[in-house]
Order: sequence, then structure tokens, then C-alpha cells
Amino acid sequence: MKSEFAFIALPISALVVPSAFAVRYLTVDQAQQAIFPGKSFTAAPVKLTSVQRKAIEQASGVRVLHDEQQVWRVSGGGWFIVDEVVGKHEFITYAAGLNPEGSVKQIEIMGYRETYGGQIRDQKWRAQFVGKTSKSTLKLDSDIKNISGATLSCRHITDGVKRLLAFYEIALRH
Amino acid sequence: MRSHSGIEIRRCRPLLGTLVEIACQGSPHDIDCAFTAMEKVQRLMSFHDPTSDVARMNRHASRRPVKVHPWTWRVLKSAQEFSRKSDGVFDITMARQLVKWDYLPRSGTRLCSAGSWRDIVLDDEHNVQFRHRLIVDLGGIAKGFAVDRAVAALKNNSVTAGIVNAGGDLRTFGSASEVVYVRHPVEPTRTAGAVRLRERAMATSGVYFERRKYRGKYVGPILDGRTGQSACELISVTVAAAECMIADALTKLVFTLREKVAGLLAQYRADALLLERNGTPSWMFHSPCDTRDQTRFD
Repeated sequence: MKSEFAFIALPISALVVPSAFAVRYLTVDQAQQAIFPGKSFTAAPVKLTSVQRKAIEQASGVRVLHDEQQVWRVSGGGWFIVDEVVGKHEFITYAAGLNPEGSVKQIEIMGYRETYGGQIRDQKWRAQFVGKTSKSTLKLDSDIKNISGATLSCRHITDGVKRLLAFYEIALRH
Repeated sequence: MRSHSGIEIRRCRPLLGTLVEIACQGSPHDIDCAFTAMEKVQRLMSFHDPTSDVARMNRHASRRPVKVHPWTWRVLKSAQEFSRKSDGVFDITMARQLVKWDYLPRSGTRLCSAGSWRDIVLDDEHNVQFRHRLIVDLGGIAKGFAVDRAVAALKNNSVTAGIVNAGGDLRTFGSASEVVYVRHPVEPTRTAGAVRLRERAMATSGVYFERRKYRGKYVGPILDGRTGQSACELISVTVAAAECMIADALTKLVFTLREKVAGLLAQYRADALLLERNGTPSWMFHSPCDTRDQTRFD
């Protein structure tokens, strides 16, 4: 098949882009089915005590931003957690599936917002990942689907998962 | 909902130090297979993971042959070819400089000053041996290879169209073309232009957010293997080629050699686009192969 490479110069209006790129990949339901296909889920949110919070921070070396953690118990064993991480330029919502014994089964990015000098913690953006209310399917803000060039690192997610594993040990396991 | 390019499913996972997005006209299982292939590349070629082929080579290959996975061996073979064809500008043994500048972790590696890509010996049994105390890093090429493996996995599952994007190293396949926006070299939430791609891989490198000061001078992670000096101009380089590994490696060469790399780009049937810090293209190279008639620059 013939290949193609064509550079398209954009009109000025398109170049002065948004202060943020945002992508939404999965709703809570979709993320659950992506990590644990065919299973059912029981909401089991956890509110951390200050003692637990400190213990998690100590064990993981990562700061705990929220006392409240969105957790679901998976039929047949395992846990499904929705979590978020904030970097200097990014706000990422992701889902982590844990096996019954606490190891990571799978991580799926549910969505991210990337801003430079803008407001990272957009409440409306966050709201769409809270609970199971969001019905929307995959949608990208603006028409920009693919971007090439310096991109987000996954360092904050690595830290987030470290924190979740400590959370499991301290707040879920027993 | 079926979009014009037929892409029906889009997933994103943290991998290879970045966010990897796979979109295709396929099933969640197809996407799982593609991510699994990329995870395998990460496991084999990570500089950080002590059990990877790269870490094992860096620990032992200066004393005895180290047997590596066929994939690692293939990437090493390609790296050697890029080194030979660029007269050593591309050199995976520059890892020692990246360690010195803290782009790579020091742990478990001993700094060494001698040796180059010429001291890496590969035999046909997939054994690797270093003639000097060397360390190697496949960071400039393995991400592209991982994208190629993901595309191969999708095709292997009879997926007919898709795109894999590993933080700017991407590859598209299928009959429809995809529009990929290229970030502004200095202001990453602005786009400097867009490229239409079909059946092609593309990689973009820039150093603005990666450059740092070392002893009062700016350094960056893209090095000239002949001199050990880094290229840290505020530009971005985009290369399109048939395979993402090729595009990935060639961006580093365009960074250092600029227009002088035209011959090599032609050999690899690659296209290149160089953006200056104000976001305007200063150089475009069109591969003299069949992409030419479709390459348009308004």
C-alpha cells in the first residue's frame, strides 16, 4: 500500500491553540470491563484515617492528596481502584486493577489533561470520572487526535501506583 | 460510531516512560496483544530494570559474552548499522555521558571512558560482547522498535487499520490517512503544523524540556557520538519512515547533522521536517521514493 507523508501548514487560528490538551479514553464502567472483563463490581469506597494516610506516605514515599479513595470489590476476587495524579503540567485519571493477592493486574489511563500555565485541577474535568454516572464514550476535546513531540512522562503514574500498593497493604488487605 | 479512519477503540497505558496510546479497528483483545508486545520490549531493553538484557550486558558483556533475546539482538544490529552509516554520530555507548549528566541512573553501572560502538561484538548466536568496559542505552531506538512490535501484533491479529503513539513515536497502518499534529518546539500546547500520514511511521524529537545545565553549560540527551557533545538547540525534528525504529534513530541524526544527513535519509526512504524555535519549518526533506508526489507543503 502506498505510504504518505504530507506537511499541512495550519491557519493561524489553529496554531493559537488551547491552553490545554485533553483526552478521555474510558468511563469507569468501560475501565472496569477493560481490566476485569465479565466481572461485577461492588463499590467499597475507603476513607483514610490520618494514621493510615501517614502510614501510606511513609511506606510509599509518595504524598496522599485525597483521604477518599474510589474502590470497587471485584466478583471472584480482586480490587478495582480509580485514582488521579497531578504533575506540573498534567492531570491524569487512571484505573488500577489489583489481583486478589495485591499485585497489579493492569493499569488503564482513563483520561488526561495537559496544560502549561493553565489550571490543572479542572473540577468539570474531574467530575466525569467520579462514580459511574458518566455515560459518554470515548471523546477527544477539540479535533486534535494525534500529537507528536515532547509528551507527558509517566513518572507520576509510577508514583501513584506505588502509593496504591501501600494503600492496599494498609487499608484493603485486612 | 465509526470515524472516517475506521478507528473504533482507543486505549492508553503508561509504558516506556511515557503514555502509550493505541487506537485501532479491532477488539480489546487485539489492543491487549499490542500492549503486551510493548511491555516485552520494555522488559528486555530498559536501562533501569536490572533483569533486562541491556542491564545484563552492561554488567557482564565486557568480561564474557551475554546471550540476549532475538529482539534485543535485532535492535543492537540496527543500532550498529546506524552507527556505521553515520560515521559514529549515532552511538549507543554514549550512555556513559547520559549517566554523567544524570539523564540515566548511576546505580549498578561503572563509569568508563574508553570505547565506542566499534567495540560491540555481535555474533550470529545472539551473543553480545564488549571489547572495552562499556555501557549501552537503547533509549534512542527501542521506543520506535516497540511501536513496530505493537503494529506487528495488531496486524498478526488481522487488524486492518490503526495507530500506535508512544509519546510522539508513532506508526499508522491501513488505508486511511491520519492527521498528526506536531507540537511547537518551545510551547508544547501549541501546534506548529500537522502532517498527514498513511502506512508510515513518524518520530519527533525536541530538547527544550529536557535540556539542563551541567557545569554552566546547557546539555541535552541527544549526543554526537564522535565528539560526546550534545545538540541542544531549541528546535524540533520530525522524521517519517517505513518503520518507527528507523524514524526514531534518524531524528537524532537530523538533530546533529541537519542538512548533511540528506543522503542517509534518502537511503532509508525517509522524510524530514525541521522546525525552528519560532515554530516555522526551516528545512524539509522529501524522500525520493513513492511518497514524493503526495508530499505537500503549503
